[in-house]
Order: sequence, then structure tokens, then C-alpha cells
Amino acid sequence: MNYLSDPDAEVIALSPKTLLATNRFVCEVCNKGFQREQNLQLHRRGHNLPWKLKQKNPKETRRKVYLCPEPTCVHHDPSRALGDLTGIKKHYCRKHGEKKWKCDKCNKRYAVQSDWKAHSKTCGTREYRCDCGTLFSRRDSFITHRAFCDALAQESARVPPMAASIYGSGGMTLGLSGMAATQLQSAFQDHSPGNAAAAQFDHLMPSSAGSPAAFRGAPPSSSSPFYLGGGEDGQSLLHGKPAFHGLMQLPEQHQQGGNNGLLNLGFFSNATSGQDARLIFPDQFNAAGNGGRGGDGGGDVSAGGGHESAAIFSGNMMGNNQIAGGPGAGFTSLFNASSETVAPAQMSATALLQKAAQMGATTSGGGGSGGGTSSVNSLLRGLGSSGGRPAGAAGGFMAGESSSSRSNSQAAETNESQFQDMMNSLGNGGAFGGGFAGVDDSKLSTRDFLGVGGRNAAGLQLRHGGAAGIGMGSLDPAEMK
Amino acid sequence: MVLQDEGSSSSVTSSPLHNFSTMPLHHPSVAGTTTTTPPPWMARELRSDERGLCLIHLLLNCAAAASSGRLDAANATLEHIAALASPDGDAMQRVAAAFAEALARRALRAWPGLCRALLLPRSAPSPAELAAARRHFLDLCPFLRLAGAAANQSILEAMEGEKMVHVVDLGGADPTQWLELLHLLAARPEGPPHLRLTAVSEHKDVLTQTAMALAKEAERLDVPFQFNPVVAPRGLESLDLESLRVKTGEAVAVTSTLQLHSLLATSSSSDDDDGVDTNNKKKNNKDDSSSRRRRSPEDESGGSGVSPASPYCSTSSPRPSNSKGKANTNKVEAFLCGVWGLSPKVVVVTEQEATHNAAPLTDRFVEALNYYAALFDCLEVVAARGSVQRARVERWMLAEEIKNIVACDGAERRERHERLDRWAVRMEAAGFARLPLSYYALLQARRAAQGLLGCDGFKVREEKGAFFLCWQDRPIFSVSAWRGRRFD
Repeated sequence: MNYLSDPDAEVIALSPKTLLATNRFVCEVCNKGFQREQNLQLHRRGHNLPWKLKQKNPKETRRKVYLCPEPTCVHHDPSRALGDLTGIKKHYCRKHGEKKWKCDKCNKRYAVQSDWKAHSKTCGTREYRCDCGTLFSRRDSFITHRAFCDALAQESARVPPMAASIYGSGGMTLGLSGMAATQLQSAFQDHSPGNAAAAQFDHLMPSSAGSPAAFRGAPPSSSSPFYLGGGEDGQSLLHGKPAFHGLMQLPEQHQQGGNNGLLNLGFFSNATSGQDARLIFPDQFNAAGNGGRGGDGGGDVSAGGGHESAAIFSGNMMGNNQIAGGPGAGFTSLFNASSETVAPAQMSATALLQKAAQMGATTSGGGGSGGGTSSVNSLLRGLGSSGGRPAGAAGGFMAGESSSSRSNSQAAETNESQFQDMMNSLGNGGAFGGGFAGVDDSKLSTRDFLGVGGRNAAGLQLRHGGAAGIGMGSLDPAEMK
Repeated sequence: MVLQDEGSSSSVTSSPLHNFSTMPLHHPSVAGTTTTTPPPWMARELRSDERGLCLIHLLLNCAAAASSGRLDAANATLEHIAALASPDGDAMQRVAAAFAEALARRALRAWPGLCRALLLPRSAPSPAELAAARRHFLDLCPFLRLAGAAANQSILEAMEGEKMVHVVDLGGADPTQWLELLHLLAARPEGPPHLRLTAVSEHKDVLTQTAMALAKEAERLDVPFQFNPVVAPRGLESLDLESLRVKTGEAVAVTSTLQLHSLLATSSSSDDDDGVDTNNKKKNNKDDSSSRRRRSPEDESGGSGVSPASPYCSTSSPRPSNSKGKANTNKVEAFLCGVWGLSPKVVVVTEQEATHNAAPLTDRFVEALNYYAALFDCLEVVAARGSVQRARVERWMLAEEIKNIVACDGAERRERHERLDRWAVRMEAAGFARLPLSYYALLQARRAAQGLLGCDGFKVREEKGAFFLCWQDRPIFSVSAWRGRRFD
């Protein structure tokens, strides 16, 4: 832990001379030098000299952390102080010291003798060879070299480097130029596993390798994570829907995939790395085929066919009619444009909430005196503001409720009295008649909405068991389907 | 079945919404009220917006009833909601279905025997299902992906020039975010650093899968990589910061995606407002509303195993009073102080931008209704109604959050979302200062948000260096970055 976790830690800044010094402790008899005093004391025993070993008292000793004296060094900063003396000495020596030790095999120089020793043990024993022919014994230098190597640069010009990684990993990552291909491929695997999809894909992807059409001109550099969002010109196989589409598809193929369970990472194991785009597809398709998805996968993608404005799947669909035609359900969402300015035929939930809030406000304002303190009106007023901050009256609604229902004097309008009746009924604990048992038959299927957990039973029993004598009326269980 | 009108002055006009708020909820045949009419949805098929408005009204009524313990009223209202809502319908119907289920669960708390017999807690989605739902959410809506990219960009910038980078993921980040980070680091002009990733999760197999995938990718990219899984069975509160093995002298980045709010959960009873929730609820020992503001006796902060030793954190100092009592403030502050003690170069926090932590149910309910309505709207736009992924997100992820917010209390309620301004106060108290997210990340995010799906519902708003990822101007998530402040 850093010293900050132990504020009593002593921050020590030693001078370069101290850090570099070796053998500070010298035997007076034979002038042999030692790095640690305790070693010197033990040596003195051999001369039959009086010796004394001091022990550190762990209770008194404070934890020490050390700073590097070099001002430009990262470890000069107390928050990055190093934890032990040997560490700081070696660090200083390595980074800011003179490299006096040299490996004879490979000409590498070291400032710290132990580093040199360690290296010469392994020098030449393990080698990495770059494609340009350079040999490396250390992995990290090999890696660094490859990032700059000219030979590799030529190769990567053919295929965007990350494209391979995408195919290899089934990459979900955004920054990668091959994304479009991935999504396309994954889009197809869902609904037509097997050869048909492969054929379709080829149809849409004239050349998978670095094709600007497929990748929509994405730059090969992977340093921009959001290429996919940028500069889309709407042309494309996906009809202007960005590569995003397949992302939704991609995990799905593995959702139903057997042992992969529902963890999407399973698809990584299917991927093989470093292959050309075309080679990958059969694997992916097989994987898709394995995950028996039944009607669901087909259903959801094909349903997307109807979307116009915001659909994810439509892009996949448009290019290829072989994929199941969009069912009617998809078309209703044609009108479901993201904007709330669409005609009330399909208002968004947020728009409905705002409208309800307005109505609640106007009712309470214009409908007479009583509405203002009613509980639901205050809640309604709390709706609709984008932050949804409830009106302050919410807290008082419990008290206000029954009083409001009584306090209304005028209630000339039928509306107002009806409202009060409603509040009355709520206040009375629900004089809800059994007549409501039979809800509209056409809506019966929706009664199952609680059926996810089968909690209908509980709800019904409440009425009988829990409604202590409220007079629920003749509620015939048989009516409750 | 069609109910007969009582024959009195009918207010069921062709537009029943004309006097919407006065629509009765009960049938006139009982209780002697004679001037009422059957609800419009019984009389004829509603338009979708009418139905939506009815649902809102019913939901609010139900919440009011449930909150004040009038369970039969709640039950009756739920019946009506059930008639109109549907998890397969339009956005409003779906969100209503989710909230109705949550309200039903809340009402059921009065009968713990029923809850137990129905094994209600076990009907929650399995970890694999939850992971799948989160993945679908990531795919369908760009929010969390944009947040992850902004986080990666912050990490990249903070770690410029570093050779050893240690990223601590406190949870919630999708593995693809780390894949991205690997790519970004590999593409650095100075070459990739040695990357250590310590990931915290409640489930071991998630970590294992992540490890395999990332290690493979790192191997392919030739980035020196090391993955350390840390299992925290009960979430962040059970996390021992020592187990993260942050070494002295390392450059540390910490990320947390939708995790910190669970630290606000407390077993204190001071945040439950059910006036009549009975004493047979085994966890809570509260009763009347006068105890609402009472401080919980059990306010130990000891979960995290770290003694917050920063000069900023002092758990004994008086806190600004809030309705949640000292217990949870201690827990989260202790945790944040511990994180500060790791000396991170950057801490990126992504949280839901909503206040779902108010004590009274009704406040929470209204706020949550607005928030999740926006999310359900977003899903309605980006996915088809028959979409399996969308259904999973709605049921396994969003509905679970809603259930937690509405139906749970005390230590069980972990979805205690709060807005960034409140988190900022906590972060500053723990010794952090704001680190503006990079402008480049903002541009990327905006481009991505606009480019995606061809719809302009997704927006990215920047304020004081933090991002707010919005749907139609309603902020959904906030992303902010912090640096450790020392001695100023």
C-alpha cells in the first residue's frame, strides 16, 4: 500500500550518494565491506571481536517509504514512493545510474549487478524473432519493436490490423475498424445459420478485407474507439444503420448456446484468431447453428424489419429479403419514432407522463378547491418534470387525502364528485365490487403479466384472505381466470 | 363482459380523458354511489395514449395506496392495471407491468408467509441471466458503452508515459471495455505498458470467462497482461481493499460502473416509510412514521476492512444530517476513503442519474416512473416489440431494479441511485477532486450517439467535466472522473 494508507509512514529522501554507495560498513580488521550492518556484525564474530546485533523493535519502528532524489522521476512524488530501501536503491541505480555491467553475449548494459547476473543466465535461452528478422530475448522489447517494425506495417496495410482481431475475437469492441463486418456477419448468423447466411453475407460484403464499403471507410487505426459513429455517410450495406446492429445480434447467438450459457464471453472461445474474415464465418455460423434458438432469434430480427427510423435490425433486413419477412408487429413501431411529437397514436411513455402531469395540474387548479390536496394530484404534479422531482405535497398526501374528499363543498360538476367518489373509495379501503372481476375478456391475456413469477395466485388470495371484511362483494374465484 | 351503465349522468364521452382524473375506479353497484360510470377501458377499447394515461393514474393510485398500507385498494388498482398493462405491449404498458409487479411485491410484504412460500426472492434472474440482460442492454442502448469508452479515454490519458498500469475494476464494466482498453494501450505511440487488471465481481465464473477472453486478446496484441480476479460475494461492502494487491509505486486507475450505490444500502430502518408495514417483517424493526428520521442503532462501518486513514476521511466527524442515518454514510465514505488510500491516478465513476433513494415510497415511485419510462421508451425505439433481447433487458434487468427500488427496503434495497451532485459531495469528502473527462471523449461520444441507429434520441451532455448520457434530454447515466487530492 502507499504511504497514504499509513499516514504515519516516514517519507525518506536519501541522497544519490547514499543510494549508490555500496559496502558502507567496513570491518576494521580486514577492511572487508558490507552492505548491511548486521552482516558486518556477523563477520566480526569470525574475528573474535565483540559484536552486537541490534534488533528492530517492530512496535517503535515506523514504516518507511523512500523517494527518488531525481526530480524528474515519477517516484520523486510522495504518492508514488517506493516501499523498501533495496528497491529504491536499485531503482535509482537502474534508472539514473551509470550502466557499468555488460552482458557479453548480447551487449546489453546494466547498472545493477543483480540485474546483470539475472540476465546473463537467460541470455540466449529464449528468443523472439520478429518478422523482420530481429532477435529479441526479452518479450517486452520484442513487443515494443513490433509496434514500430516496418515489415509489419506493410502487412497491416492490407488488412486493418484490428479487423483480424475482430474476426478472431468476434470482437465486440467499438474502436475497431472491422466492426461492420462483424456485425453483418453476426446479424446473419442469427436467422439463417448455415450456408444460406454465408452466401448472403458474401453478397453484401464484396470483399471482406479492408473493403471500404463494408467498413464504411473506417480508418485502420484503432485509436479512435468511436469510428463507427463518426462520419457515417449513410451509404452502406446497412442502409445507414451503423455497425451497431450486429452488436445486438452478436451476443444473442450465444445466449442459447448450450454450455456457454448466457455469458456472452462464450463466443470468444469460438473465435479463432488471426484469420481472414471469410474464414471465420463458417465457425460463427456453426456456433449459431448450435445454439438452437427456436423462434426467438428469428422473431426478433425479423420483427425489426418493419422499423424505419430507429430500428436496429432493419438494416440487416433490407439488404436481404431472404431473411424472414417482418411480421406485422414490427410495423406498428414504424410509428414509434423516437420523437414525442408524433401524433398521439403512439406516444412515448415519457410523453404520457408529462401529459398526465399537466392534466393533473389543470384538474387540481381548475377543478375546484379540493383537488389540490388530493394525493394523486400531487403525485401527478410530480410527474412529468424531467427530473421527476415530486411536488412537495407528496409527503402530506396521507393526511390530506381523507380531508380533501370531505372538504369539497361545491362539487357542482359531476366530475368533481366522481373524483371524490374515487378518493372516497380509496380512502375506505376499496369498496370495490365483485363486478369488476370479469375484466374485458379481450384483455385476459394481459392478466398474465404477473405470470412471470406466477404471482397471480397471491394477488387473488389477498382479496379473500387479506381484505378483512371490507366488503369486497361477491368475488367469485371462478370469474378470475 | 361488458358492464352496464347505471343510467345516471354518464361522463363517458368519446374522449374519456376529458375528465381523466375523475374517472372512477370502482363499480357503482357497491357502496351506494350512484353517479359513477364504469371506467372507460371497460366500455370500449382505448387508444394507446388513453390507455397510457389510465395506467399512469392507476399506478399512482396504487403507489399511494401501497405506501399508506391500504392494501385492498392497492389490490383493486392492480387488477385494473393488470387489465391494461402488458410486458409485451407498448412502452407504457411494459413499464406499467414492471411497476405493477413491484407494487404487488411490496404489498405482499405484509404477508411474509406468502412471500416465503412463493419463494419470491428465488424468482430473481440467475447471475447468468442477469449478465445476459446486461449484455443485451449494452448492445441495444449505447449508454454504458459510451461510458466505458469515456472511462478508457480517461485512463489512457492519465497513464500517459506509465510503464506499469494497474486498473482496478470495482465492477459493472463489460469485458469489451477492457478489450477496448487493450487495443488503445497497444496502439500507444510509446508502446503498451504492462497492464494489470484486477476485476471485482460477485460471481466467480464471470471473472473466469473475462480472464480467458482478455488474456487471449492481450496475447494476440502482445501486451504484457495480468488478470487478477477478486470475488466479493456480497458486493462492494464485503470487499477487502487489501485483496486488490495494489503495489507501492504503481500507477492505479479505478473504475466503478453502477456499483457504488449499493454501498448506500443499510440495514437501518430509517428509510422505510410504510406506515403500516407490520412487525412481522423480520428485518425491519420500525413501526410508525415518527421513527422515520431515527438514526439506526446499527451503524457500523466495518464492512470494508480498510481503516480510512486519509486526512480527509474521519468517520467520527459529524455528518450533514440526512434521512438515511449514519450507517450507510459511514460505509460508503469508508470505502471511498479506502480507494483514496490506493493513490489512484484516476477514478472513473458511472452511476444512474436519478434519485431513487428517497425515504418515502411515493417520491421514489414518481422519480423511478419517470426514469424507467425513459428507458423503456428508448428500448421501444431501438428494438422491436418481439425482440428477445429487449424483453430480457426489460424483465431481467430493469424490472429487477424497479422491484428493488419499490418493493424492498433496508439492506435489501441496493438500487439506491443518486445523482452526480450527491456523489460529487461524497467524492470530495473522501479526498478526490474532479478530473474533467477528455474533450476528445466527448466528441467521440456525441458522434457515436448521433451516428447510432440514425435516431437522435441519444444525447451526451457535458457539465463541469462530467458526461450525462441522456435519452431525449432526460439524463440516464452520469460519468465522472476523479483524481486523488493531496493536502490542499
